[in-house]
Amino acid sequence: MSDWIKKYYSVLKMSWIQTLEYRANAIVGAFAILSGLLIEYLLLSKVFSDEISSNSPIQNFDSFNHLIVYIMLCMMVGQLKSSWHNSMMMIDEIRSGDLNRYLIKPISYFSYNFMNFIGHNSLFYIVYFIMMSLIPIIIGPGYIFNGVFQIIGFLVTLIISVFLSYSMYFCMICFSFWFGEVRALIISYNVFNIFLSGQLIPISLFPDGLKQFVMNSPFRYMIDFPVSIATSDYFNYQYFIDGVLVQILWCIIIYLIGRIIYIFGIQQYEAFGA
Amino acid sequence: MRHLVLKYLKLWTAFFRNSLTREMEFKANFIAHIMVDIIYYSSLYMFYYVIFQFTDTIGSFTKETVIIFMIVTYMIDAVYEFFFSGNIYSFNQMIVKGNLDFILTKPINSQFLLSFRYVGFNGIISFLMLLFLLLYLIQNYPYSNITVINYVLFFISFIIGNIIWYSIDFVIHCLSFWFKNFSVAGWLGSNIKQFSMRPDTIYGGVLRKIMFSFLPMAMIASVPVRFLIYGFDFFLLVNQIVVGFLFFLLARYVWVKSLKKYESASS
Repeated sequence: MSDWIKKYYSVLKMSWIQTLEYRANAIVGAFAILSGLLIEYLLLSKVFSDEISSNSPIQNFDSFNHLIVYIMLCMMVGQLKSSWHNSMMMIDEIRSGDLNRYLIKPISYFSYNFMNFIGHNSLFYIVYFIMMSLIPIIIGPGYIFNGVFQIIGFLVTLIISVFLSYSMYFCMICFSFWFGEVRALIISYNVFNIFLSGQLIPISLFPDGLKQFVMNSPFRYMIDFPVSIATSDYFNYQYFIDGVLVQILWCIIIYLIGRIIYIFGIQQYEAFGA
Repeated sequence: MRHLVLKYLKLWTAFFRNSLTREMEFKANFIAHIMVDIIYYSSLYMFYYVIFQFTDTIGSFTKETVIIFMIVTYMIDAVYEFFFSGNIYSFNQMIVKGNLDFILTKPINSQFLLSFRYVGFNGIISFLMLLFLLLYLIQNYPYSNITVINYVLFFISFIIGNIIWYSIDFVIHCLSFWFKNFSVAGWLGSNIKQFSMRPDTIYGGVLRKIMFSFLPMAMIASVPVRFLIYGFDFFLLVNQIVVGFLFFLLARYVWVKSLKKYESASS
């Protein structure tokens, strides 16, 4: 076990060092959140102008500020679980035959790239956690992390959500074994995911049919669930435990699907261009 | 001058033919890109669909106007994809690997070659679909009479809107000359572009002035829609022409300056 940890920790460390070379990513990442939030703030303040002036709740949000904090957190979590860079690299490796490098080594392609994925996003973790800690100072207390359990709950669900999201990407990446070029699939998934996971508008504001679909899909457990824990007034143990169990269940299902696709895919793999 | 224009037009036609041959080699990729466009359009449509459950207007834009605005933003996107996006997004890699040398050594304007070399055909398919949709929506637009003058103004403004976005995105990608490896240029560009994908009516005060001048994102899609729906506005037209011209000059200036920073292969 300790060898396993050592092995993958080295991968994580290497990708972390590589990421530090590209510090501009962190600046653009912070800009992405702030500019995105500004646009949504301006738009939603026009849409909910009556609720803002009367200081009345918006659906299940106590106030407009609460809604904005929720969207901001959704954007950050959305970015933390996004595996754009890694996915493109993995697709290229499968297409070009570079996957051979991993097949002849005592390393799991899934785990190796999972560590790479975390390492690559590590700068975002730092930037976004700093931004999250500034929310109570800028907007005021009571909107986010109202207790120690909310912080722990958020971190636990965030870790599971990152794994779930990576497993989902892995499933799609494995289709490269058959189709070669699946970037379009990843782009489509990303575009839909931004909307369906509540990064533009909270899931609770969706029309009933769409809301029902999202609530029963893994999308909800990638962003909405961790964010709803971080922004809750009181920590509801039952809600947390039930949610985490469903989250883990989705992880197992998606991981197994990915594993099956990979096993079938590797039989198709002809190492072209290697 | 006429000779020069004809020369570059002929060159672009050759690029077009070459790109078409390449595109036909990867038919599945071509279809996949159209699918991505459709998914992208439907996600933004769903976004506004949800928004309009809570309100009837966004500023002075009604639901019908916002849908037309949305179609126009897609059309701008499609035109950009057709002419530029495949070229500009590869900018950073060309600088990192030193492949820009092949562009600079050719006896034509390097900015032209770099911006127009590859044509994205899925853009034209999306554009045509959107154009038909726009014409249909305008036919059924209930609030004002849209005349030929509106169409002419829209056409001019639409082209200027494209020039403005090209200039801004080009300048962003030129940052690759200053940074060691600016692989996030595309991401930065798409974040800035988000400002043009919301109606200008959401911007007020100083921000509104910025969106019509220093960072003219409202000039890209909102202003063409204003000409189409509300007709002639002298100040807006002059403003857009001046801003479009200045930003194009800025792109030229930045390109010339950037080339002085270029250190050739593996820089």
